[in-house]
Amino acid sequence: MLNAIIPLLLDSLASAALIFFAAVGLTLVFSVLRVLNVAHGSLYSIGGYVAASACLFIASRQMNPYLSFVALLFSAVFVAAIFGPVVERSLVRWTYGKSEAVQILITFGLFLMLEDLQRMIFGVQSYYEDTPMRLLGTTNLSGVVYLNYQIVLIVMAVAVVVGLRFLIRHTRTGRLMTAVVADREMAQAVGIDTNRIFMLAFSLGVFLAALGGALATPTSGIAPGLGADTMVLAFAVAAIGGLGQIEGAAVASLIVGLARVLAIYVAPELDAVAPYAAMLVVLLIRPYGLFGSTSVRRV
Amino acid sequence: MLRLEKVSVSIEGVRVLRDVSCELIDRKATVLIGRNGAGKTTTLRAIMGLIGLDGGTIRLDDDELDRLPAHRRAHLGIGYAPEDRRLIPDLSVEENIRLPTLALKLEKAECRRRLDEVYTLLPELHVMRARPAGGVSGGQGKMVALGRALTVARTVLLLDEPFQGLAPALALNYARTLGELRKHRPELALLITESTPALLDRIADCTLQIERGEIIKPNENEGKSCSCNSSASRETEPTMSGSRSML
Repeated sequence: MLNAIIPLLLDSLASAALIFFAAVGLTLVFSVLRVLNVAHGSLYSIGGYVAASACLFIASRQMNPYLSFVALLFSAVFVAAIFGPVVERSLVRWTYGKSEAVQILITFGLFLMLEDLQRMIFGVQSYYEDTPMRLLGTTNLSGVVYLNYQIVLIVMAVAVVVGLRFLIRHTRTGRLMTAVVADREMAQAVGIDTNRIFMLAFSLGVFLAALGGALATPTSGIAPGLGADTMVLAFAVAAIGGLGQIEGAAVASLIVGLARVLAIYVAPELDAVAPYAAMLVVLLIRPYGLFGSTSVRRV
Repeated sequence: MLRLEKVSVSIEGVRVLRDVSCELIDRKATVLIGRNGAGKTTTLRAIMGLIGLDGGTIRLDDDELDRLPAHRRAHLGIGYAPEDRRLIPDLSVEENIRLPTLALKLEKAECRRRLDEVYTLLPELHVMRARPAGGVSGGQGKMVALGRALTVARTVLLLDEPFQGLAPALALNYARTLGELRKHRPELALLITESTPALLDRIADCTLQIERGEIIKPNENEGKSCSCNSSASRETEPTMSGSRSML
């Protein structure tokens, strides 16, 4: 019995970690900017492409292969620095306070542009570069071979949850962000430059998306269309947790991760449906998500 | 001195303020009286930059406020306590009061000094400083909002209907606090809006009447009224130079 449960749990956790990376940035951006960024998935796949290219470059130059771990992280920082401030200042800021339809149209337009930009730069072939995964090797858990890289994913996801909590509760920027989330006008009245907070929060969201893409690449590779798939999954997870709730996104990722892995173990053909079935059940019982409510917002 | 000149504001196409001109004089408390819907709150929101002007200018000494982004008001020392408190429920009472010091990037010692200043004036806030602001009563919330506005205020303090919704005992307490405030922080120019002027009689240096978005010519007989379009008010002339510490 235990032999079956431990790999199942580890698989669920690793799957949840990958899902969490995709969803947490979306929910963070929604909570601060109140904009549902439909292009979030594209930023995830751009992170993946940049990371794969960087790892391939390291491999082709026969540099120290452990550099590819650094490359994964730096790809995310690079994508956030390039796309975060530029996209927020040039496009997203025009949608603040506008209706959801306008927000979705504009960010959907951004999604189309980013998808084509990816095809222009990286072509349409898929990238597969698993150096970081192979370097860490495997562990034999009572007969089941387990990838150590999956442990890295779980650890990174926990680090992101803890890091975000620390940022929001214990830093100056986090306090200012909390104030902006609760009451934009009052935040301005006490001297907070809300535009700066929006830019920071959006860039942080891009960083988290790109980090998710970068960390996922070694396990699954990357191909065109991943952006759209990720977006839909991220939205489902954010909706389960309650849009704008970071802890909610974490719990929702665990639920979806478990649902997917159970589906794979029990009825593999239901793998793709599992997250949405979970979403359906949760939203039928709690229409605003597990941690969501209509009036109170939290970061 | 804060001066409004021919300020007009519309909300969703409806003119709410029409050519409002008035000025707040340093070291004086001005009370803006008007009924519900007369434009009191909108006047304060216009000063804070929370609503755009159709026309007119708002100046604080040499700064043209209407050309600055909203958050710059706090940097110029304008404190604002809205009628509906607007505290950040996730933060504690003290964190709410300290929020402006974070936004303004003040040094530790200065934060401490401003916080002590607030607690001296409003000792009841010190008692409940650790409580989450989402859990305090309406009346207590008004005090917290006043404390937060005082942390910002170095030049001007705007209080929107401070007595609205306060139980009589709390209202008296609040009025007493305002009296104390005049003594402790004489450099501030106060603008207080009210629908019933009775509680502010002892605090008001001058009163302005607003009706349907227009400032009514003050009643000269009362002797206490400010003139709205000029600084003719004789008793204010000598203090106009105003010793103002901008830090």
